[in-house]
Amino acid sequence: MSLGRLIERLAQLVPVLLGVSAIVFLMMALTPGDPVEIMLGDQHVTEEQERALRHDMGLDLPPHERFVKFLANAAQGNFGQSFFHRQPVMDVIASRLPATIELSLVALVLALATAIPLGVLAAVKKDSWLDRAATVTSLFGVSLPGFWFGILLLMLFAVHLQVLPVAGRAGYESEVAPITHLLLIDTLLRGRLDAFLDALSHIILPAVTLGLPMAAILTRVTRTSMLEVLDQDYVTFARAKGLRRRAVLAKHALKNALIPTVTVAAIETGSLLGGNMVVETVFGWPGLGRLVVESIFVRNYPLVQAAVLIYAITYVMLNFLADVLYTVLNPRVRL
Amino acid sequence: MKRRITAIAMAAVLGGTAFGVGAAELRVGFTADALTLDPANHRKRETETIIRNMYDGLVTRNASMEVVSELAESWRAVDATTYEFELREGVTFHDGTPLTAEDVRFTFERLTREGAMGGQTSPRKSLLGPLTGVEVVGTRTVRLKLDSPWPILPAMLPFQEIVSERFVKAVGDAALADQVNGTGPFKLVEWRKGDSVIMERFDGYYGGAADIAPVGKACVDRVIFKIIPENASRVAALLSGDVHIINELPAHSIKQVESNPGTRVMAVNGTRSSYIALNNQRKPFDDVRVRKALAHALDRQLIVDKILSGKATLIDGILSPDAFGKNRDLPAHAHDPAKAKALLAEAGYPDGVEATLDVDGAGKDIAEAIAAVASKGGFRIKVVVGEGSTLTKRYRTKGEPIDGDMWLTSWGNGSLDPVGIFEPTHKTAARGNASGYSNAEVDRLLDAANIDTDRAARARMYAEAEAIVNRDLPYVYLWVAQDLYGVSTKVSGWQPSADSRINLHDACVK
Repeated sequence: MSLGRLIERLAQLVPVLLGVSAIVFLMMALTPGDPVEIMLGDQHVTEEQERALRHDMGLDLPPHERFVKFLANAAQGNFGQSFFHRQPVMDVIASRLPATIELSLVALVLALATAIPLGVLAAVKKDSWLDRAATVTSLFGVSLPGFWFGILLLMLFAVHLQVLPVAGRAGYESEVAPITHLLLIDTLLRGRLDAFLDALSHIILPAVTLGLPMAAILTRVTRTSMLEVLDQDYVTFARAKGLRRRAVLAKHALKNALIPTVTVAAIETGSLLGGNMVVETVFGWPGLGRLVVESIFVRNYPLVQAAVLIYAITYVMLNFLADVLYTVLNPRVRL
Repeated sequence: MKRRITAIAMAAVLGGTAFGVGAAELRVGFTADALTLDPANHRKRETETIIRNMYDGLVTRNASMEVVSELAESWRAVDATTYEFELREGVTFHDGTPLTAEDVRFTFERLTREGAMGGQTSPRKSLLGPLTGVEVVGTRTVRLKLDSPWPILPAMLPFQEIVSERFVKAVGDAALADQVNGTGPFKLVEWRKGDSVIMERFDGYYGGAADIAPVGKACVDRVIFKIIPENASRVAALLSGDVHIINELPAHSIKQVESNPGTRVMAVNGTRSSYIALNNQRKPFDDVRVRKALAHALDRQLIVDKILSGKATLIDGILSPDAFGKNRDLPAHAHDPAKAKALLAEAGYPDGVEATLDVDGAGKDIAEAIAAVASKGGFRIKVVVGEGSTLTKRYRTKGEPIDGDMWLTSWGNGSLDPVGIFEPTHKTAARGNASGYSNAEVDRLLDAANIDTDRAARARMYAEAEAIVNRDLPYVYLWVAQDLYGVSTKVSGWQPSADSRINLHDACVK
């Protein structure tokens, strides 16, 4: 993979982001609802006071002028002020992004760590009870609504068994000075095992809720693609050579079977960001997903714009990462 | 019994904390995070609730919602446009500097002057009406000057908190978003955005409002507002003992909280009037007989009992029973399906009326109950669930044609003065008028009462206006629901408050 290719990929981002900005802007502009009205709430206000606030929020301009202004400012890295936080949107987003990244990563690791072994086992022991159990479980995993499953976990582990906390990212005592802003890593870097365990206890339920549907899908993909690969001539050949079963599975079969898994994982990680919105609300997780949902409801245009751009960048970069991973898994693939 | 992995680990690994073992910590499971900690830079009730535990105001409200002195020792109206406040002695900010009249002047100038907050104008400016000037008369005396008479100034002042001029100038306006130097009972320890706001007791506290016992320092060492937006999760947090108080307890969780040994339900009359907005501009609700027919068709008490667990007070006009100027002699439109049908026939609808009832997601159950009950009175109502902001746009049209038949909605009135609810919802083309209602006499009465400084005369005018709208019935007035809280039995000394604030100064925890 050359540097040129990377630059090309990054350049491709520009039209994507422009398109995304335009679509989001248009959608927000077409959705009924007025942030000024929402902010003023149930109060008696004079028209003059309302006009002043509208001007203050830059909403007295017609939509096309607002869009041009937004693009011009965004090109300089200025995404405007959050209407309701009255601070630069990037500051608001930056305070919430690490929690979402951490939750997504843990959910991803959980999903991969269960899906790949389970998928492989199900394929190798095709039609056994284990295969059937894995298939049925993954069907449940795909079908369970995250919202319902999350609350179910809460009632069981937090209310009845009382072994895990209900909400939040860490208890009061688990404060460590940030390094990476990922709590699980920071607590270890600072040598605070107690804080690490506390953070872990907070992240388990949301991560399981978020990771379950992904694990379910990945199990099915891995199983299918493993079954396909196991039928290939080179696997038969490897077996014929007298290689140990384990070596055949790991070196010859799994490595090739993982390519579809990586593709789906990349796409699914993108949708983890979407799933975050529900899970973060249920578990009071201080992440970006919840912030975006709240912002949509109150028509906080600048924040929604900027957040969607971040989602778009993440999505594109994840797919790029998947492409890079292909070359590692199969050297014949060239970018 | 708590069997937290973390607790065990903590005991094993860690010696103690800054507070040591046994610090009284009160945790509140709260619906929304603060948007900012700057008292002048938001328009959100939840934000104010959090801020109010760290910042005090000139005045506040007691449990019966009367305005009482807080940082002010006394106040008086010098004339219709001048109010004088005498500050209490010995009040200090969290950094130890004393509160002076200059701080009060600075605070109100920051709130009312264009661009006074580092170029931004305070969004709370409109909460101060015609307030334009602040004059320091002595070291402890300030005068608030109004452009025109505005009798509700004292009722609106509890919404404002006093900041330190020296501090704001030292750190800059923007820094006030996450730094706190107030005069309130708690100091800010840390704001973990989206997660929690952590405060500790301010030992230099002057004691709080003299009229609200007990006076003195806060009871608990530490307070944590833990943000849990989802209802079911907030209830779970209370039941598991993670938090001690939760706000916005859903009515359907009352039994669960009451049957749990360590928790109870506390209720207080809210300030939000619920009603059905009827489109008075077009058929069928342009006819007062049809509007009255709907009122008679409904069995409001039945709906309150079944869906709100009885936790609401019926209203026959827009004002809450606790509001200033409430007309206590309004006739009720009693449940009478036969009368409803007769009224419909009289209005030319012998076969009944078909209409669509719009509602947002949260009101769906009530809307469906309304539709079911009204069917016996000749109304065939279809319930359509929409999104709040969209419905607002369709119904609160400021005089433009309304797009829809009926909308189940509400209007909050934290000041409990009619200016905050009667005028916006009933005056011709006002911003909260969702029925297209227009009555010159009501407009005249509301305008006059808005500026009359004679309290008795104001009250009479509002009572008269409420009698008129009770006859015209532009809305079917429903009820003022109680605000429900789930509270641990470990908490004592805390009472819910009608203005939905959670003031933790007096709360203790075992």
